[in-house]
Amino acid sequence: MCKCRPALSVAGMQNTAIEVHDLKKSYDGRPVLRGVSFSVRAGEIFGIAGRNGAGKTTTAEILQGLRSRDGGRVDVLGFDPGPERRRLRPLLGAQLQTSALPERLRVGEALRLFARLAPARSDWRQFADAWRLGPLLDTPFGNLSGGQRQRLFVALAMINRPRALFLDELTQGLDPVARRDAWQLIEQARDHGTTVVLVTHDMEEAERLCDRVAVLHDGRLVACARPVELASSTGTVRLRFSSPAAAGLAGLGSVPGVTAVGYDGTTADVTVEPVAVVRVATELARRDLAPSDFTVIRPSLEEALVPLMNGDPR
Amino acid sequence: MTALAALTPTELRLLVRDWTVLVFAFVFPPLVMLVLAGVFGTHATVGFGWRNPQHYYVAASVGVPVLALALVGLPVTLAAYRERGVLRRFEAFGVSPATVIATQAIVAAGLILVGVGTVLVVAAPTYGIPHVTHPVQAALGLAASTLTLLLLGIAVGLAAPSARAAQAIGLIAFFPLYLLGGGGPPNGAMTGAMHSISNALPSPIPAIADPWLGLPGLGVQLAVFAAWAALALVAIWWLVRRAAHQS
Repeated sequence: MCKCRPALSVAGMQNTAIEVHDLKKSYDGRPVLRGVSFSVRAGEIFGIAGRNGAGKTTTAEILQGLRSRDGGRVDVLGFDPGPERRRLRPLLGAQLQTSALPERLRVGEALRLFARLAPARSDWRQFADAWRLGPLLDTPFGNLSGGQRQRLFVALAMINRPRALFLDELTQGLDPVARRDAWQLIEQARDHGTTVVLVTHDMEEAERLCDRVAVLHDGRLVACARPVELASSTGTVRLRFSSPAAAGLAGLGSVPGVTAVGYDGTTADVTVEPVAVVRVATELARRDLAPSDFTVIRPSLEEALVPLMNGDPR
Repeated sequence: MTALAALTPTELRLLVRDWTVLVFAFVFPPLVMLVLAGVFGTHATVGFGWRNPQHYYVAASVGVPVLALALVGLPVTLAAYRERGVLRRFEAFGVSPATVIATQAIVAAGLILVGVGTVLVVAAPTYGIPHVTHPVQAALGLAASTLTLLLLGIAVGLAAPSARAAQAIGLIAFFPLYLLGGGGPPNGAMTGAMHSISNALPSPIPAIADPWLGLPGLGVQLAVFAAWAALALVAIWWLVRRAAHQS
């Protein structure tokens, strides 16, 4: 069973906001979570990635007390989201994957209502401005576009200034500009000390936002690390450079750490272990080859995670 | 501010924006009253229990907004909230489904009173408002029938898989309770079997009209309401447990 614990800081101290141990859940006898364990530290943006049906949303909803669990131990901000969900809820913000508001409820009314429902006094206009909802205040929810709805949901999720924020498919339906705005606001929330749990399919989003990403496959945690660590976990990088002739590449495959050498007539494509990058560069220099376009291509998070999401344990 | 106090005005505004509910709750009852009271005139017959038909239909129509809002308006809204994830949206913010449902029941009860008032406002200048023989019993009949039908409406709203299904179930329940309750032909004009069925149904029409016009029998009707309310409460309890088990 893969476990995921936050790395200790230099000071050796980290406040844990969420602790999950051996979490299990079944629907009608079909297991969807088979003993998932991880910790989320306070003020961290923690991603949960995986294919459809991997158990991401179920995990996030159990942490919020919206679903019961069959087994395991969960602690969110010092509360068990099962029996103590009433005490926990005011501390949480949530943007759910599938939820809605009444069709005729106007944006301004929704913001006012949720600000009134919040345990602490909250200025809803500030959230309307931050999420560019000002021009939509009189628009009924039923008339909003997908992206406008998402913006409203995230604004509502943050209106109670939560200590932990759960965002499920945050940027689904947002245009690129709104998506980047959303990322910026989430980072701001994190900078103010909010712990963010981000359920996502979007690897660019995970790479850009998340301090750490947990990967679920078939109800099991198969990886959990910083995005850069996950991306480098494929074990290889690619080197691309122009080469006038294949002859100049002869014998390159025997350099320790080189796993493959390709050549398409103009460009060499060499796959190497990360430690072999310098060796290859040195070898090229020794052969008086100094390509100006020598490029090291590290695998993207998506390239690294797709095999994991497909259950390849590597 | 409590969730109930914050939600109630919002829910009221939302329901008022739904013209279909408004028509069914506020236009349909006085319209039916105007037509039926006009058709049967003022000549008392045995079918009407020797009551003035115009008086009968004015008193009987007071129960129609109860049926419309409790059996159709409330379940449709509640099922739509379940179907579309609105209850879940509120739950994630710490507002329990029970609070949202209670809010909707309160709003429906308020609109029922407005609907009753609308029937009386339309009746006053047309056929006149008949003398209320037993006002306390008539008010008790209104309160008991409203409470029972709201509970049944909540059960339908929790059981129906969609808003459309809730509307269908609500309408299927509405018409027997309206017609067999005496909203169309009076109870005295029904055959023996229909009369027996009518007596076992939780219709607000006889519970309000009979004490209003001086007929006995509220005690039996209250017992019928109690039985249906108990049934509705058991159904609600079971449906809530089922939903919790499924989550």
